[in-house]
This record gives sequence, C-alpha cells and structure tokens, in this order.
Amino acid sequence: MSSFKSINLFGSGPHRFSLSVQGEEVVPNYVLGNGDHGTYPVGPRELDVIVTGRLVAASESALWTLRDAIAAQLTDPPVPGTLIDNHGRSWSNMSFIRYEEHGPTDRGRVCSIAYTATFRCFA
Amino acid sequence: MLILNPRRVTFAGTQWNDVTLVAIDRAATRLAVGYSDNGPHPTFADAPEQRTTVRVVMDASSGLVAPRPGDAGTLSLTTSPTASDAAAQTLTASCVVTRVSHELGLKHTPTRTIEFIALSTNGAADPITIS
Repeated sequence: MSSFKSINLFGSGPHRFSLSVQGEEVVPNYVLGNGDHGTYPVGPRELDVIVTGRLVAASESALWTLRDAIAAQLTDPPVPGTLIDNHGRSWSNMSFIRYEEHGPTDRGRVCSIAYTATFRCFA
Repeated sequence: MLILNPRRVTFAGTQWNDVTLVAIDRAATRLAVGYSDNGPHPTFADAPEQRTTVRVVMDASSGLVAPRPGDAGTLSLTTSPTASDAAAQTLTASCVVTRVSHELGLKHTPTRTIEFIALSTNGAADPITIS
C-alpha cells in the first residue's frame, strides 16, 4: 500500500508511480551572462515523484471525501514527509506540490476521477 | 436483448406493422480502465459513458413513409411469449432516429431497418423501461 506521511491518499483506486527527469540542470550561458553560446551546469535537478491514478468511490460524497483528504495535504508552505510506493520504495523529504484532475468525474458503476499528483524533493 | 415478432410497436404515436425484430444493444462509448504497479492486467474498469441503441427491422413494403434521422419520440413495443396477453411485457424508451436503411434480398422480402439511440431522462436512469 502506498502512503504519504503514513496516510493512504491514493489507495481507493489504481495508481502508479513514476519519476521525472533526473540529472544535471543546465542553463544557457546567455541567460547567465556568461557568453553567447553553450550551457552551464548549475546543479542537480530536484527529484519529482509522480503518482498517476484514479480515485474511486461508491458515491459522489465519498469521492469528495477522498479529494478533500488529498487537498488537505497541499499545504502552503509544503510540509515534507515520506512518500512510499506500492512496493515499499520510500522517498524522504518529499513535498506534495501539485494535484491535477483529468476531465470531469466519471459516473458509471462507481464515481471515479483520474489524477496526477506530484511530489518534489526540494534542494 | 432481442425481441422477435413483437406484437405491437409504436413510435411517436404511429403504429408500425410487420416488425420482425427489435434488437437493443448496449455499448460503452468510453471506458475508464486502470492499472496498478503490480502487473500487466487492469485492476479497475468502468463504463462512465454508454450508448443504448435500438434497431427495428420491419417489412419495407409496409409503407412509403419512414421516420428521418433526428426524429424523436417514444418507442414502445409489447411482447408476450404467446399470442395472448398473458405475461405480456411492454418496453418503452425515449428515442431519436439515427439511421434508416433498406435491404433487398433475393430470399426474403425487402426490409427497412430503423436505428435509434435511446435517451435517459436524467443521465442516470436506464433509457429502457420494461413494465
């Protein structure tokens, strides 16, 4: 079971974990005023862990309960915590920075909605 | 659902004779399918958008006047296991005509096929009512 700060935010439905681009952040030299061509390495990229899935609930109100639980973790400023995926892999010091829903709520046998949640390890 | 030789079929108040079959098909026009991190198979599937279509096949020689695509009305048919009213069931649906076609076969009489899309009253209620 996945979790963020020991809270099962995404377990109502299928969800998958992926990592964003990793490596060195490079900036064009002309942006930094260091010359007119080429790039300059400014440091490692911040790690983003992306959760893509679908919230699933038996009713409209139950789906809102799931959404509200997620929104409650989108604090300002972000409060970092440990993110754990479905296989026990954990990332510490992760901040929940973005939650995006895709399309309207699907109302079939159950109420569900697809989402993407982004967690970042700030440098 | 397939209904052969329904006893009485009406659409928008007009009775249709010589109906040989009424077929009601249901299909998901959009699927919500989800996969987990555990393997290749979906762990969730739902049909949040569905379409119920009704196909009425009748004798094409029953008249020159046929409905046109876009025509709307209540489609009603009555069927029973025997020629009597015993255990008769009535199927009702609010429908819109989507296609009218004809077929001429060498081994059977010409047929007219009228296709409908069935509408729900509020989006949640089943478009087909059986009483």
